[in-house]
Amino acid sequence: MTAADRLDRTLQAALLVAPREHDRLMLADAVLLAALDGATPLSAGERAALAASPLTIRRLRHLANARTASQWRASAGMLRAADSGAPMAELVTDDGFWTLHFIGSGAAMRVILQLNAEAPFAREVLARQPMLQVVDGTGAVVLLGRLDADGECESAWPFALAPAQHFQQAGAVFSVETARP
Amino acid sequence: MRLPGTRYQEHGWEQVRKLLGQCSLAAFASPSLPGLDDYIEAVAAILHQAGARWQAPGNSYGDSVRDLALTLLYELQARPGDWTAFCVTLPAAPGEALLRKKINDMYATLRDKVDSDNYQAACGRACSPNRMYAYRMLDTAYHEVARLFADWRSHAAQVGAILGRDIDAAPIEARQMQSVGHCRPEWILRWSASCGGPLHTRSKRFDALKDNPAKIKAMLDDIAEYEALSANLDADWRHDLDDATLWLDDYWRVLAAPEAAAPGPDRMLEEPLDDFAGLDDGVDNEPVDIDPALDLIAASVSLPPGFLQMARLAEDQTSWAARIMIEDGLPVRLAVHAKLTGVEDDAYPDAWCDPATGALPTMQQLAGLAGVSLPTLRKRRDAAIARLLAAART
Repeated sequence: MTAADRLDRTLQAALLVAPREHDRLMLADAVLLAALDGATPLSAGERAALAASPLTIRRLRHLANARTASQWRASAGMLRAADSGAPMAELVTDDGFWTLHFIGSGAAMRVILQLNAEAPFAREVLARQPMLQVVDGTGAVVLLGRLDADGECESAWPFALAPAQHFQQAGAVFSVETARP
Repeated sequence: MRLPGTRYQEHGWEQVRKLLGQCSLAAFASPSLPGLDDYIEAVAAILHQAGARWQAPGNSYGDSVRDLALTLLYELQARPGDWTAFCVTLPAAPGEALLRKKINDMYATLRDKVDSDNYQAACGRACSPNRMYAYRMLDTAYHEVARLFADWRSHAAQVGAILGRDIDAAPIEARQMQSVGHCRPEWILRWSASCGGPLHTRSKRFDALKDNPAKIKAMLDDIAEYEALSANLDADWRHDLDDATLWLDDYWRVLAAPEAAAPGPDRMLEEPLDDFAGLDDGVDNEPVDIDPALDLIAASVSLPPGFLQMARLAEDQTSWAARIMIEDGLPVRLAVHAKLTGVEDDAYPDAWCDPATGALPTMQQLAGLAGVSLPTLRKRRDAAIARLLAAART
């Protein structure tokens, strides 16, 4: 996001919640939450009521923020093992909830991102199916995609160097995160 | 007292009130009564230069007294009805004492309006300003009961009246009452009866609580519930979000979602009944003490030469806001930012700020830059805000 985008968004947020006299909550939490979840969209009348009530927009902001805060957003990991010369088979994030598997070799090398089914956010992430990306220490994208029903996502290894050497040169860290639309 | 979302209900409020009172008196020093915009700009300018004494926290979230005063001032801007109500009660040439009292009353009313809105946004339950006032009365009453319990030997008769029996040894209730949640509603009612307290005056303000222990209990529990919660969780989770405007995407998504094929009837909330619609009895009026540093505010600092050119270079004219306000000129656009987001914000480019204050230029300075009068600048600013608002809502 550029500085100008940030300025625009700050202004838009301030505009939408600027208080209005004699305002009140127009929609119940259940209605707002169902709309945030995409379960039950608001009717035209409800949309108009929301847009005209900064207090109700503030309530929506609170619910949306709580929802975002409870969602998983990123897990980071480090290249730990010293280079033993053997090809690296996998990397695990520090929280233990994501594994990167490396299979094949040379030009046929594949990388698979796997979500640990025991992760506290596993259900939420599998249901939401966000676009995920794995980035190395320089910010270069290692893998981009959505998980399949088994909690895995696979693609070709995009770099010339083998994984151990590549991560070594790219800060020895990596991160699994939701990709910004 | 703390309730979800509230910012102005703790002891620090006394300092916020004093600061606003003193700055307001300075703003009223000119011979004619200022208009709301003049008043806001004058008080904001003084507040921005308020000294270290006012940087102390005014609540347990760590908001400074100065920032709380500024936020409340900007809330007044959005509620011109409160300003009008204040003005119509003023005689032609009010004396300082009367002026001080009226200013106090205006902000005392405003803080409960703002905090009842904050409460509703934070927990989704309806709350009126009068209900907020009633919460505070009950919290004060609880602390008074706790004080009497703690010193029961000196107040045996009154403690006896509260508990409804004679006291000759340390009352077990005194040890058991660890928090406001352990306070029985009958004690509040009997305490008030024992001293002609708030539930035993001729005022109708708390009629909804008189003879209604169940309602008192429910409100005491609301206070206790949040105190227990906030004791374990002192940080606001909002600060954990790396982008405070992420919710905008959710808002627009909700507004743009395809409508249901067969939408049912609108599910709007009914307008809630306000049990506490009683009359205002007036508010405590303590003297305002004087911080001499606040009286030495320079009237107007001139901007460095070339300010407008540098500020223009720092502006992205392709941005959403700039495109909507392209005809208005940069001074109007800066005035819009100042009114909506405040004169200080991390999102502003440095070149937009007066190096003397580190904040956006004052309205007077912006009017000078635009070559128009102050009222004209305000009119253009408010027209631009109306256009932005129409664009942001869709």
